[in-house]
Amino acid sequence: MSKAEKITLTVTGLMMLAGLAAYGYQFKEGLIVTNMANPYSWGLYVSGLAFFVGNAAGGLVLSSLIYLFGVKSLKPFAKLGALAAFANVTAAMLSILPDIGQPLRALNVLFHPQLLSPLVWDVAVLNLYAVLSLIYLYILMLPELKGPLAKIAIKVDNPEEFSEKWAKRLAPFSLIAAVGIHVITAWIFATQGAREWWNTAILAPDFVAVAMASGTALVFIVSIFVYGAKEEYQPAYRIMALIMAIATFVHIFFMYNDFFIHIWYGNQESLDTLAVTLKEYAGVHAFEVLAPLVAVILLLSKKVRQSAFAVVACCSLLVLGVFAHRYLLMPAAFERVPLTLHPLGIQHGEWSAAIASGRYSPHGDTFVTKWDYFPSGIEFTVFLGVVAFVCFLLIVAIRTLPIVKEAK
Amino acid sequence: MKRGMVIDLEKCIGCRSCAVACKSHNAQPAGTWWNRVLTPGSEYHAVPPEAGMEYFLPIHCQHCENAPCEKVCPVGATYSTEDGEVLVDYERCIGCRYCMAACPYGVRQFNWQDPKKSMDQYQYSADYYPGNPRDFRLKGRLVYTLKRPKGIVEKCNFCVQYRAQGLDPACVRACPGKARFVGDLDDPKSEVSRMIRRRNGFNLLPDKGTKPTVYYLPPSRKEL
Ligand code: SF4
Ligand code: SF4
Repeated sequence: MSKAEKITLTVTGLMMLAGLAAYGYQFKEGLIVTNMANPYSWGLYVSGLAFFVGNAAGGLVLSSLIYLFGVKSLKPFAKLGALAAFANVTAAMLSILPDIGQPLRALNVLFHPQLLSPLVWDVAVLNLYAVLSLIYLYILMLPELKGPLAKIAIKVDNPEEFSEKWAKRLAPFSLIAAVGIHVITAWIFATQGAREWWNTAILAPDFVAVAMASGTALVFIVSIFVYGAKEEYQPAYRIMALIMAIATFVHIFFMYNDFFIHIWYGNQESLDTLAVTLKEYAGVHAFEVLAPLVAVILLLSKKVRQSAFAVVACCSLLVLGVFAHRYLLMPAAFERVPLTLHPLGIQHGEWSAAIASGRYSPHGDTFVTKWDYFPSGIEFTVFLGVVAFVCFLLIVAIRTLPIVKEAK
Repeated sequence: MKRGMVIDLEKCIGCRSCAVACKSHNAQPAGTWWNRVLTPGSEYHAVPPEAGMEYFLPIHCQHCENAPCEKVCPVGATYSTEDGEVLVDYERCIGCRYCMAACPYGVRQFNWQDPKKSMDQYQYSADYYPGNPRDFRLKGRLVYTLKRPKGIVEKCNFCVQYRAQGLDPACVRACPGKARFVGDLDDPKSEVSRMIRRRNGFNLLPDKGTKPTVYYLPPSRKEL
């Protein structure tokens, strides 16, 4: 293990501990230690769910490309993909857990599932995906489970053949599951008629597009770290860059297509909703669009792909842009009060019914029509703890399991 | 039987007595208001809007027939009774707040911390803990309790605990203007059905398709 890895492990380990401590504090005090309030009831934690679910796409998408469409050059990355998928889908669940007010009752989802709830579907499909990516990883590693790891290998006559056969058989399912987690996560939001910002048919396809971009970017980063930007891997890297570029273009098209039709029609409520993203959060919006665009355009150049540093920088930029995109899932949904009326007898008047904030502030109003949310230190610490968990798990797994093809 | 409420905006004087009665009877933690009365078009309550006439709008859970809050609840903590009340089971709720995102009326409220702590914060006097002291269970499910656990969602429960005693909700009884009426919306001859028919009863946000069982009667004369 290199020195850099050791340092990363220590740092991410400490970050995880800090996240855990922050969560312990929140557990004791309640969600009052976040900056959410009744009118703005979901924040960073739920954005985190969408973010990590998106990142989890890469793995199984790559694997299915290999085994369904025969893109052989991606083969060395299949295991990395499955591992990244597992790490991120677990992170998604870890990210949503602190959002729950009564964590000790979380298992009610199993004991009393209410089958109309998209949240129940999401819990089911995320767990399924986690299991599936583990099985996938295991099958792909099977031929190389030797030495001390032989203990966990199932006995088959020809591990290579077995692994190949089952990877192929599982591929269609993993593709469906990979698309499924994004569609269902999107449905959590898109089904909600109360929130203009989410309630659009484009949300689910857009989640898939974003996930293709950020999920692939993540596998790309990890690949560079373990394999470097060597010439023999360039064909695979080209494919990854292409997937990211196409996905990003499609995503941006979906997003502006949706904005366009609303702006054209000019319904005041839609305009108010859009104004939150386009005006109030103009800077963040510019970043969520420009960062991924610049990243994928740069990555289309072979020169860029040949520099390990440039690839990591571009992919990180894209992932950060996608994070900004996920962050923006909340403001336009919660800053505008859904109960906005046209009071009787007033011309063109729009008026929002104030909501009890539920939080004491010596100088603030009891009923508010707008809540300015920015995550609290506790929320950031918990979230960064989950990010650290992903890095930690990736490094430990890559070093202890036969995931990387040995350089000959 | 579909239990519903009619609020006559002509009679509402904006005194917020209903909100106060609701809050004390139902032991709402400091900062939590199941019931609120606002002045549409105006930034301040009881101040006429610049461009129009003043009337008052009481808002609480609309006990929707097609309740998104119920449909999103992953554990069935939010559920509706046979008579159409939408209730929260305080022992079942996991505090995911999905229902708060789902409700278009902004009536659901979360216990961000232990209610006792918020009472201290609001500097309620130490021995002040208003509210009906007895727990109430409807077919075994805890739908009213004096001391709320932190981390759960609550909202208007149509005073089911009083209904069992044959009483109207606290807001109905407390309203000095007698602006609130409860009755069977399924029965065309009931007083509430008749009022809705004759006085052009309307719902809030009908286009959201939630089918509220709370109806409002438009004010004909507005005070200035
Ligand atoms: S008003 Fe809101 S909380 Fe009440 S039933 Fe309708 S959606 Fe649910
Ligand atoms: S917060 Fe409670 S009542 Fe609301 S959806 Fe979640 S579990 Fe159901």
